[in-house]
Amino acid sequence: MSARSNVMAYAMLAPIVVLLTIFVVWPVVYAIYLSFYNWSFYTPPIPVGWRNYVNVLGDRTFIESVGRGLLFAIIVVPTQLVIGFLFASLVKTVSGKIATILKVSIYIPTIISGVIASIVFVLIYNYQGGILNAFVGIFGVEKQAWLGNADTALAALTVPAVWLGLGIGTLIMLAGLVDIPTSYYEAADLDGASWFQKTFFITIPLMRNIFLYLLIAGFTGAVQQFELPLVMTDGGPLERTLLPNLYIFQHFRNDTYVGYSIAAAILLMLVLGSISAGIFRVLNSEKAVDG
Amino acid sequence: MAAETPVTAPAISSIGRAPRKTGRSDSGPKGVLVVAGKAVMGTLIVLLALFPLAWMVIAGFKSRSEVVETPFQFFPEIWRFENYQQILADPEFVRSMSVTFAGALLFTVLSLTVNSLGAYAFARLEFAFKNVLWVYVITTMFIPGMAILLTSFVVVTRLRMLDTLAVLVLPGAASAAHLFFMRQYYLNVPLALEEAATLDGASKWAIYRHIFLPMSKPVFVVVGMTSFLAFWNSYVWPIMTITSRDLYQIQQYLATFRSERAAELGMLMAGSTLAALPVLILFLVFQRHIIGGIKIAGLK
Repeated sequence: MSARSNVMAYAMLAPIVVLLTIFVVWPVVYAIYLSFYNWSFYTPPIPVGWRNYVNVLGDRTFIESVGRGLLFAIIVVPTQLVIGFLFASLVKTVSGKIATILKVSIYIPTIISGVIASIVFVLIYNYQGGILNAFVGIFGVEKQAWLGNADTALAALTVPAVWLGLGIGTLIMLAGLVDIPTSYYEAADLDGASWFQKTFFITIPLMRNIFLYLLIAGFTGAVQQFELPLVMTDGGPLERTLLPNLYIFQHFRNDTYVGYSIAAAILLMLVLGSISAGIFRVLNSEKAVDG
Repeated sequence: MAAETPVTAPAISSIGRAPRKTGRSDSGPKGVLVVAGKAVMGTLIVLLALFPLAWMVIAGFKSRSEVVETPFQFFPEIWRFENYQQILADPEFVRSMSVTFAGALLFTVLSLTVNSLGAYAFARLEFAFKNVLWVYVITTMFIPGMAILLTSFVVVTRLRMLDTLAVLVLPGAASAAHLFFMRQYYLNVPLALEEAATLDGASKWAIYRHIFLPMSKPVFVVVGMTSFLAFWNSYVWPIMTITSRDLYQIQQYLATFRSERAAELGMLMAGSTLAALPVLILFLVFQRHIIGGIKIAGLK
């Protein structure tokens, strides 16, 4: 390890380390610092200890928004996993052109922006001329204001969320399915195992890590969803679609004293961050065993 | 009678699925049912995935009143190109598409350069404090965007970067996740290649430039596409940092159009279709690499 090789390595690492320091590490440190202060852009910071955190934890709107985020994720993630798993199992059994068409089709929604998805789904849910009302009309159901009605708004937001996230999960599961040796299934076939038996006793146990990863990545992602409610409903009606990040964002825009919003963001980060770090550790240790 | 069975059974199964040859027992009428069931399920999911987009494209061809017409009509009476013509004639739309495209290209090039250099250093070089730096870099991967979104805004405000192209391009370019992904790839490059070059007196930079870069195509496609897509689709960061209409990003333009010209739904759909087109084309061109990249990621 010569001094020369040190210089070369540091020169190559400098850009990424500098950028990460300015745009990730500094904001994190700054966030932790500001969360203990009362500060707006034009005043000197006044230390307030844990008051911002206490205020956040005592804020019913925030706590409710976290609960709503969890509920949202509980609807979105399992739906994605089940549809994705069924579809991946299907794609695995076909080959060639058809498999490519299926894979490409399911992945296309993934590349569509949250804004465009919002615009399209708002039109689908439209009271006048929306295709959903036309569809339920066939079965004699009355027209609904899907996004305007407090009872249906959150459920209505789950559909574009599932739609946007389905592709990546499906393809990850497909990659996992393809990795399972066919000999396992052949042995099960000889014993006369049914599709359900093979799925529950071979496929699902062997895909444990993939499910775990998708479950947690999907869960933290869904709880943090906020483009869809921002564009589609702006949190309404009656705060029924006010997910935690949207609440923090709105609070930040309306309150020049940013300490409160930052404390809320940090509290949410602590919960979600520890979940993702945990899953990373599990995945990494498994890989070490595989060699 | 018994002798006939072996003759008919293969014949039936060959109708159901001629090209496949496995030892599975889905032949006979049950096999046909399975194939039909699969076809129905496959078609259904594909339709579900593509329907909202088809609906968007079709609505772009409708007249202003047709989009919200009752009784509902799936297809327009006459296919009109006015919405597409009008949105393309809007200088703000065209500028927004161009600015976003230029920014996305810049962002992609920067992201590939910065992350692959770092990935190479961590994969192949030995240097002092390597472990410390590795932990420092990789820890940033676990910080959710929202935790730093607010203070990032404060930071770029202090750096006087608001309302510039730099505020869009610089903050997200370095990514520990991309670095990690590329490093995994570089770790798998055989050592022999490098050793031969080292014997010939090649510097580490020359090895990166002439051996690793040319081999990086598969990871560059995946990371490049992901970066381009992230930039093209981003909405929240632009609405926080860009106020001048000259720099409006395309998602920002669409959302603003929606609130300012609510009645022009057909035009909005035409604009959304055009805004989705560049990434759609990119994806279709590179789909093999991107779908393959999900495997490279080594999610086991």
